[in-house]
Amino acid sequence: MVDLSITAPQTGEASGATLLIQQGQGPDDVLIRLIAAGQWTVHEVANLAGQLNGLAAEMKCGYGRGAVIDLGHVQRLDTAGAWLLEQAAELCKSNGLNPSYAGGREEFMILLSEIRARSHEKMPEDKKIGAIASLLADIGRTTRGVINDLASITGFLGALTVTLGRMIAHPSRFRTTAFIHHIEHTGLRAVPIVSLICLFIGAVIMQQGAIHLRAYGASQFSVNLLGVLSLREIGVLLTAIMVAGRSGSAFTAAIGSMKMREEIDAMRTLGLDPMEVLVVPRVLALVVALPILAFIGSIMCLVGGGLAAGVYLGLDWATYWDRMQDIATTRHFMAGMLKTPFAAIVIGIVGCMEGMKVGGSAESLGTHVTSSVVKAIFIVIILDAIFAMFLAEIGI
Amino acid sequence: MQSDKQNGLNPGAPDRPVKGTPIITVRGVTKRYGTQTVLENLDLDVTAGEILGVVGASGSGKSVLLRCIIGLESIQAGRINILGRDMATMDAKDRAEVDTRWGVLFQDGALFGGLTVLQNIQVPMREHLNLPRPIADELAHLKMSMVGLAADAATKFPSELSGGMRKRAGLARALALDPDIVFLDEPTAGLDPIGAAAFDRLIRRLQKTLGLTVYMVTHDLDSIFAVCDRVAVLADGAIVRTGTPDELRQNPNHPWIESYFCGERARAALAGA
Repeated sequence: MVDLSITAPQTGEASGATLLIQQGQGPDDVLIRLIAAGQWTVHEVANLAGQLNGLAAEMKCGYGRGAVIDLGHVQRLDTAGAWLLEQAAELCKSNGLNPSYAGGREEFMILLSEIRARSHEKMPEDKKIGAIASLLADIGRTTRGVINDLASITGFLGALTVTLGRMIAHPSRFRTTAFIHHIEHTGLRAVPIVSLICLFIGAVIMQQGAIHLRAYGASQFSVNLLGVLSLREIGVLLTAIMVAGRSGSAFTAAIGSMKMREEIDAMRTLGLDPMEVLVVPRVLALVVALPILAFIGSIMCLVGGGLAAGVYLGLDWATYWDRMQDIATTRHFMAGMLKTPFAAIVIGIVGCMEGMKVGGSAESLGTHVTSSVVKAIFIVIILDAIFAMFLAEIGI
Repeated sequence: MQSDKQNGLNPGAPDRPVKGTPIITVRGVTKRYGTQTVLENLDLDVTAGEILGVVGASGSGKSVLLRCIIGLESIQAGRINILGRDMATMDAKDRAEVDTRWGVLFQDGALFGGLTVLQNIQVPMREHLNLPRPIADELAHLKMSMVGLAADAATKFPSELSGGMRKRAGLARALALDPDIVFLDEPTAGLDPIGAAAFDRLIRRLQKTLGLTVYMVTHDLDSIFAVCDRVAVLADGAIVRTGTPDELRQNPNHPWIESYFCGERARAALAGA
């Protein structure tokens, strides 16, 4: 017998694991011996797989008619090691050699037969797609997602309208307590933060206007700039964005966690309509609260502008308000306030709808809260742009 | 082949504990939350190669004991020795080695929600070993098949699985590195009787093929009679009795054990076993 070892056998030392091959020479010695030794564990499996690949070439030019896999020197065998031994046996088979095991402990043989039974279950092939194909697939998926979203928002709006119609017919079904509760949470409690932000933004717009218009000798017109801008756009838009982030996300989180714990399903089985119990009070509360908040926001913008005007334009408080009365006409005020109920409906619907879409897991709750805020803000801004163009066309 | 074993083994591939020797030794463990004492002066031995069931009333501290043994909770007094090392004085290197030699199945699987089943099973492999991708894939599929998960579950996320499948996937992850000890926290809770019986058989079969030591916290009388070699009863903050299920049933010697092992449900479980 000639030793054709790939690596020196280390049967005496327990470190590492080895696999070597002894080929039969001539007609008297027809068996190939694969000698496995050492620790056949998951820690060594990468090394052993390399050795096995090395042996593959050698086995091809072998003489043997059968193969014996000698386990006499294996000290430890785990699932990964057993899997690799089975791979070696497969390799023998593919070279026309009939493999058998020798010298293995009883527990090794149990493990090997278990692995043999399992290895017939083939793992499914991964579908490979190219970069361009996957980019196109992404675009397609996103487009479909946007269309689906539009459809479901429209559907939700329809369902809401039907429920509202039913409630007008049966006013006793309206949940006043919930409605008041949501007005407090989305409206009253948002007053400080909305006021503060609008105050600062108003001051900043006034300050920037004063500085940049000074180059044209028109710094006094920054009062006009601020008056129109805060009533028509900034007050409303800033408030809507704040409310989307504050209350829209809260709607999604509250309804989503109820969905997760099957509370919504429980409601349905008890004959309660989630639309009536959860959605209507929230959306209506927003429709009431958002215009009030937007009004407060717009006024605070003007107040902030007044403070900055004192510093940058040298206008005293009374003169500022005197001039503002000429600029801030009802026309601008109405153009701003007109948008608020629509923004409220969008935020309310998107918040509740995303909540209803939450699935079974906590991750899905997180994803839907994020997408609720993003979608609500996006739609509010689009809506604002459409209104701005429309109102300009009809001359308001 | 036992004689081949030598001292000074490769730390990457430690030797298996010899069957019948203690693998976990708990001595005088006390655990308090504020003024409430959950475990007091508790002793417990787990021997290699056995399936130990830890039973006790709800709130008796079974899960707390498990969490103390695997080092998730600190203890106020006592020693816990696992695989020949003291949990309290163990250095980071030893701890990393012990981490590869035990697997834990939490109650609902505790799979990582952002990863597929296959990736979940590969987490310990990635963390502790440097395996080429194809081998890691093959091994993970093998583990899935061993715990009885169909191959098409590999690409699913935990939220898409049923409770029983999540437990099986959790078990596959616990077995990813072929550990010596597996801790199971209420493995059959929340499964239907048929699913629970299948899971019992699975634990038994894996214990035989992989030579595992199993530490199982359970409520399930069927599981106890079907798979446990030994049962430890936790009551009043300590292990009050240990023994085979039959020993405890025939000679309870404790009111809780008597009502548990000799009640209506125990008789039904015994008739089924």
